[in-house]
Amino acid sequence: MTDIFRWVLVAVAFLPTLLTAAELPDGDEIARRINARDEGVAVARNLTMQMTDRRGKTRTRETRGFRKYYGDDKRTVIFYLQPKNVKDTAFLTWDYADPDRDDDQWLYLPAMRKVRRISASDRGDYFLGTDLTYEDIKLETRVSMADYSRVTTGEDVVDGHHCYLVEATPVDLATAKELGYGKVEQCVDEKIWMVRRARFWDTKGNPLKTAYFRDIRQVQGIWTQHRIEVENHKTGHKTLFLFSDVDYRHGVSDELFTREALKRGL
Amino acid sequence: MKTLAHLLFVIVFCASAASVFGAEPEVSHFITARWGAGIVRGGTQLLDFSWQPEARWRFDDGGRLTGRLRLRAQTEPGTRPGDIEKASFAPATMPQTIGETGELDLRELYYERPLDDWYLTIGKQQVVWGKADGLKVLDVVNPQSFREFILEDFEQSRIPLWTINAERSIDDWLGGDWTLQLLWIPDMTYHALPKQNATYAFSSPRLVPQPPPGVSARIRSPQKPDRLFADSDVGIRLSGFVSGWDISFNYLYQYDNRPALHQRFISGETTLVEITPRYHRTHVLGGTVSHAIGDWVFRGELGYFTNHYFLSNDPQAQDGVANSSELSVVIGLDWSGLEDTFISTQWFQSWLPDYQQGFTRPRLDTSLSLLLRRKFWNDVLQAELLWIANTDDNDGLLRPGFSYELEDNLEIRAGLDIFYGSRAGLFGQFDDNDRFYFVIKYGL
Repeated sequence: MTDIFRWVLVAVAFLPTLLTAAELPDGDEIARRINARDEGVAVARNLTMQMTDRRGKTRTRETRGFRKYYGDDKRTVIFYLQPKNVKDTAFLTWDYADPDRDDDQWLYLPAMRKVRRISASDRGDYFLGTDLTYEDIKLETRVSMADYSRVTTGEDVVDGHHCYLVEATPVDLATAKELGYGKVEQCVDEKIWMVRRARFWDTKGNPLKTAYFRDIRQVQGIWTQHRIEVENHKTGHKTLFLFSDVDYRHGVSDELFTREALKRGL
Repeated sequence: MKTLAHLLFVIVFCASAASVFGAEPEVSHFITARWGAGIVRGGTQLLDFSWQPEARWRFDDGGRLTGRLRLRAQTEPGTRPGDIEKASFAPATMPQTIGETGELDLRELYYERPLDDWYLTIGKQQVVWGKADGLKVLDVVNPQSFREFILEDFEQSRIPLWTINAERSIDDWLGGDWTLQLLWIPDMTYHALPKQNATYAFSSPRLVPQPPPGVSARIRSPQKPDRLFADSDVGIRLSGFVSGWDISFNYLYQYDNRPALHQRFISGETTLVEITPRYHRTHVLGGTVSHAIGDWVFRGELGYFTNHYFLSNDPQAQDGVANSSELSVVIGLDWSGLEDTFISTQWFQSWLPDYQQGFTRPRLDTSLSLLLRRKFWNDVLQAELLWIANTDDNDGLLRPGFSYELEDNLEIRAGLDIFYGSRAGLFGQFDDNDRFYFVIKYGL
């Protein structure tokens, strides 16, 4: 009798939590909704990256980027416009939907005048001095279904928007090391299915960085983030990404996603 | 002065033409100061100030006109503009010397635009072939200045040529996307070699005839090709991407950028050897591959030259030179498995199928290179070590250095260039030229 009473007490104590969890959408369902969002077949946009070190010294990079879907595959190219010492540097990725196929990536360095094949397994490396990794940049507003398992842990409010908290854990240690993350907690806007805040932990469980996705508004009918603020808690380094002149309507030429286009520049 | 006048005319003409079409130029600049101090010999070895303005005009039809100038002052004897043999330049390509230390060079001036399925680039430009770093096999379309041997950045030492460059995409052919490139280069400019008393003058028996003791040498003006059409270089490249592999097939019909040093003994009151540099035709056939697998990138490059001339000590060799075909190969392996770290190794081998007794280089010549690079502080600081070694002469070059981004547009670099090994070798010949260098580069 005492045992039954104890189990009843435990059940009652956890009932609100169980009920809440039951009401929250499943983590994978949230991820699917994020990935089902309309991103437009193609987009052209300017991206300014302001990188600030712990002493407050800021470096700025101005780029023009293009992205286009080819079925489920995706091609992305970024051309550096400013400052002069990195001008004409360009980065091209062919990203395949097949999880068993590595992406193909090329980098054009004007000082070498060569389009160089680069390894796509560097996805956990930081993208050209910023605080987002190559993988973060590649995913844009989407999330990887293959790399993480997810649970919805609760709710929160970010910048006045109600969000579901989704905890994503890499599927295995090798993936965690590749990505550079031991855990990611994303706060996903329940209305527009976009991440408003992401917290990252390293593979040892230490807080790594926090990213806020702000100034989200519709452009040509598509919800678009215009400002990403990332702070690395380990290094004190911050990066501010500012998107402008976003255009989904005017087509993006296939020719832009070629090695020849990298060399020719914009 | 005539060349300078031509140069200014071309610039003014192009700028005016662009203005007529209503295009506003986008203008940018690089200002660079380089200082090098001799470690063995002491003192300043290099002092180089350069201003490189660049202008680009865009037209409504999708065309672009790009011009790049380089005005520089090189004040140290041995590395001045006059310390380079200028006779290897075609008049329309030759940089203009200003006084003893100044030089004005139209680095590039080209118009480019898409035309139907083609993309045309016409004018003075650089065309870079090949996948190898530092060691050149197929990167021979443009000649090079050896003012500082191979220490100067290739971007600066490569000599742009007047070229018509036409490229056309060929999609979905043989299971991949391909690009066909056609080149016509009616510019008879070849490697710019240092004069005898220059700091980086060649002395290796591989490259320079060694007259017997008591015999002096006299170098004559080079015998250069000069027929606009018959002596042009032409090239074709088919490059593609197939099943994850970057592939190219290359062909170039060119005059070898290295002159053959034909020798003739003249007996008189004193014996004299007269050296006449001559340029010879060669066919270049080759190809490149590169492929990424996990953390690794594999690179390969192969070039077959039908006719290269080499120095020969064989008394039977006519004029002290003899020719052979040459097969060169580079295998490179890059690894980036550690964050912010890049390690690259290359194995380079050159083989002479028609090797003849008396050649001053071995039949099989092998070099290795190793590059270690690491970035720190969100790419603000970069440290690297480049090692190139020739295993036949047991000589080589070590280049430790770092670069630091002080501001968005302001970069400093410092490092050492250390030659070692046999003085008969390509690198060991500069054993006394070890240097510390410091570079400051400002872009605006």
